[in-house]
Amino acid sequence: MPENVLELNRVCKRYGSFTAVNDISFAIPAGSIYGFLGPNGAGKTTTLRMILDILKPDTGTISILGHTSALNVRQRIGYLPEEKGLYKKMKVWAIISYFATLKGMEKNAARLRAFELLEQYGLKDYADAKVESLSKGMGQKVQVLSAVAHRPELVILDEPFSGLDPVNQEVLEQLIRDMASAGQTVIFSTHIMQHAERLCDRMLLIAKGRKIFDGTLDDVHAIIPRRVILECAGDITSLLTSPGVIGAVERPHAEHARAEGTRLWVIQIEEHTNPQVLLQRCFEQGIALTRFDYTQPSLHDVFVHLVGSDAREHVLR
Amino acid sequence: MRMILLIAVREYAENVKTKGFWAGILLFPIILMAVFFFQTLLSQSTPTRHYLLIDQSGLYAEAVEAGIRQEQQRRIFQEFVNYVVENRREANPEQTPAGANAQIEQMLDDAGTDEVAALDAWLENGGLEFALTLATPYLRENAPPFAAPREQFVPAPLPEGIDPQASPATIVEQLRPWLSGERLVEVNGERSPLFALILIPAEVNSTIQRPGVTPPGAILSASGMQYWARNLTDTRLSAAIERSINTTIRANEFTARNVDVQVVREVQRTRLPMSRLDPSKAEGEEAVSVADTFRQWAPVGFVYLMFISLMQSVQYLLSNTIEEKSNRIIEVLLASVTPLELMMGKLFGIGLSGITTIAAWLGTFFLFIAFYPGAQTELLGQFFQVLLSSDLIPWFVFYFLAGYALYAGIFLAIGSLCNTLKEAQSLMMPMMMVLIVPLVTMTFIAQDPNGPVARIMSWIPLFTPFTMMNRAAAEPPLLDVIGTTVVLLLSIALVLWLSGKIFRQGVLRTGQPPRIVEIIRMLRHKH
Repeated sequence: MPENVLELNRVCKRYGSFTAVNDISFAIPAGSIYGFLGPNGAGKTTTLRMILDILKPDTGTISILGHTSALNVRQRIGYLPEEKGLYKKMKVWAIISYFATLKGMEKNAARLRAFELLEQYGLKDYADAKVESLSKGMGQKVQVLSAVAHRPELVILDEPFSGLDPVNQEVLEQLIRDMASAGQTVIFSTHIMQHAERLCDRMLLIAKGRKIFDGTLDDVHAIIPRRVILECAGDITSLLTSPGVIGAVERPHAEHARAEGTRLWVIQIEEHTNPQVLLQRCFEQGIALTRFDYTQPSLHDVFVHLVGSDAREHVLR
Repeated sequence: MRMILLIAVREYAENVKTKGFWAGILLFPIILMAVFFFQTLLSQSTPTRHYLLIDQSGLYAEAVEAGIRQEQQRRIFQEFVNYVVENRREANPEQTPAGANAQIEQMLDDAGTDEVAALDAWLENGGLEFALTLATPYLRENAPPFAAPREQFVPAPLPEGIDPQASPATIVEQLRPWLSGERLVEVNGERSPLFALILIPAEVNSTIQRPGVTPPGAILSASGMQYWARNLTDTRLSAAIERSINTTIRANEFTARNVDVQVVREVQRTRLPMSRLDPSKAEGEEAVSVADTFRQWAPVGFVYLMFISLMQSVQYLLSNTIEEKSNRIIEVLLASVTPLELMMGKLFGIGLSGITTIAAWLGTFFLFIAFYPGAQTELLGQFFQVLLSSDLIPWFVFYFLAGYALYAGIFLAIGSLCNTLKEAQSLMMPMMMVLIVPLVTMTFIAQDPNGPVARIMSWIPLFTPFTMMNRAAAEPPLLDVIGTTVVLLLSIALVLWLSGKIFRQGVLRTGQPPRIVEIIRMLRHKH
C-alpha cells in the first residue's frame, strides 16, 4: 500500500461570510491520477491553493509529501494555476527553464530539459519564439510543460484542459499518463467529465465547498442506478411492475424524437437486473419501441445527478 | 538566497531587453549632444536677417548701424574665445591660460560687467586681427583657421514705390505685404523675407523720456520709434538697436548738459572688483573659484539624477508587478518561491538596472567630455574632477540605494494591490505628490542647506535621501547626518516589512483595489 502523498483533514476556508471550502477531507495515494471535479465556483481552486499553501485554511490540517506546508517541499511539487499566464516577452525555452530553476534545477540541466520537453510534445519549432507570438492553446501547453519540467513528485493542474483543442487535449492526457507511469502523482481539476473518466484512478466531487463524493470510477457507477432508455408511443405503466424496476421518469425530447408521437422514458433498474426481462415485457405488452438503450450511467450523469440543482442555481445567481 | 538571485537576474535581464530601458540610457547622451553640438550648429545656421531702416529724423541711422555692428563684433568675440579654448596647446595647460588667455579672460570678465566698454576695448585693440596675432603662439600647430561668423543682420534696400518721407502710418501700411512675408525683398540678387522694419519718425526726439517729466505723448504715439517684426523670440536686433540708440541719446544729453562724454565713459568703466572668499577653506586658498561654486551646486544635479532614476525604476517595478498579477504568473511564482523572496528579487533586479542606467549616463558624460573638447566641455571636465575628488559620489550611491529601497517598497505594495495600471494610478497619486516636494524645494535647499526647512525635511524619511543629498556639500551638522541616517534605515526596514505583509496578501487579490480599512487590516495581519 503506497503512502499518501496528500491528506486533507476537515479543511475550511471562509471569505467574510462566504464559505468557499467547507469541511473537506480526503487522501491521495502516491502514483495515482486524481480528478478534482465540481461545478464552477465549487471551491476547487481555493482548495488547490490551500494545498499549495498559497492560502491558509481557517481550520483543518493539510499534510503534503509528509510536511505540513507545501512551501517546505515546493521543489517537489509542480503547479499549473487556473488562470494561465506567462511572461510575454520571454522566449519559450527560457521560460520553461526559468521556472525549472526556480524549482531548484541546475541551470544547464533546466535548459536541456526544456528543449527535451518541447521536442517531445510537439513545440520544438517554437523554442526560440517569444511567448506573446504563441496562440492561446500553445501558450497553455508551454505553461503545463514549465510546471512539470522539474519532474515533481506531485503535479497539481488546475483546469489543464480548458482552452485546448481535441488534439492537444489528447497530448495532455498522454503527458498525464506518462507522468503517472513514471511514478508521479497527478491531481487535476476539471469540469469536463470525459477526461476524468478516461484518466482518473480516483476522483473527488465537490459543490458549494462541500465534498459530495470521493472514490474510484466503480464507486461512481454505483451511485446512480443503471437505466434503460425507452422511446415508444404507448403506455408503459405495465412495465413498472416488472422485477428490478425502480421507477420511470419521462424526459422531454422534442427535437430528438425518432418517430412522431413517441415519448422518451428513463427507467431505472436495480444493479444486476437483466434488461432482457424488460425487453421481453415490452413485446408481451405490445409496446411499439422505437428505441431501447441499456447504458451504464456516465460520469456526466452522475455529476448532474449529484450537483445538478446546485449547479443550475449557481448559473442563475 | 538562490531564489532571490534567480529572480533578480531574470528581472534585470528582462528589463535590460526592453526598449524603454535603452531609450532611458540613450536619452541622456542624446540630450548632451543636442545641447553642445546642435547649439553651435544652430547658432551658425541662423539665417541672415534682412532689416529695413527708415530714419526720417536723420539722427539715429548711424547709431542703429553701430549697434548692429557691435552685435556682430560681440558674436565674433565669443566665437573667438571658443576657438581659442578649443584649439590651444594641450601640452602645457597651466602655462597657456596665463599668457594670451589672461587678456582674453579679462575681456570676457569685462563683457560680463560692461559689455559696451569691453567691446570698445576689443575694437580699440584692433578687434579680431589683433586678437588672432595675440593668440597664435598658443594655438595647436594644426589648428584650423578661425572662421568668423558671417554677418547676421544685413540692411535691405527700400522696396520700390515706397516714399520714405510719407507719414509713419502710411509707410507701415504700404510695407505690410513685406512685413507679413507675402512679398520678398531683393538683396544682392537674392530674394528673402524682410525680418524687421525700424522706423524712426522725424519727431522722434519729442518722445524721449526723462525722469520726472511726463512724456508728451503715449509710448505708442505716431512719432515714437517703431520696431516691426513678426519674430518675437529673436530679440538680438531690437535689443542691440535700443541699446545703441540710448547710448547715443545719453551722449547727446551729456553734451547738452555740458558734461564731457569722455569723462563719463571713463567713469562708467571704473569698477571695484570683489573677491569671493570661503571661510571654510584653508588659509591662503580661500578664493572662491568657479569649481567651488559648482561643488556647492553639484548636489542639486545629483538630486535631479536621483529623482529621474528613482521614478524610472519605481515605475518599472510597479508595472512589472501588475503584469505578473494580471497574467496570474504570480501564482506559479508563489508556488515556487516565498513572497518575500519574490519581493526582494524584484527589488534587487530592478535596482540593479537603475544603477546601470546611472552608470551608463555618467560613463557617456565622461566619454563625452574626454573626446569632445570645447569651451563648455572644458568647464565640465573641471567639474567632473571636482566631483571625483569630493565625497559627493559615495553620498549619492548611499542615498540613491536608500531612497530606492524606501520608495520601491511602497510601490511594490501598491503594485501588489492592483490588477491594472489604471487602478494603480489612483493609489500612486499621493506618492507622486510626495515625490514632487524634493524637486520643488531642490533649489531652495541648495541655497540654504542648513536652514530650518532643510533640517526639518531631512528628518522626514521620505525626503531624507533627497534633502540630505542636497545638503551633502554644505557639511551638515553631524547630528543631522547620523540621526537622519538612522531614522532612514529604520524607516526602510519598517517599510519593507510592512510592504512585505501587504505584498503577501495583495498579490493573490483579485477585484477592486482595497479600501484604506482593508489595507490597515492587511498591515495588522499576523502570518
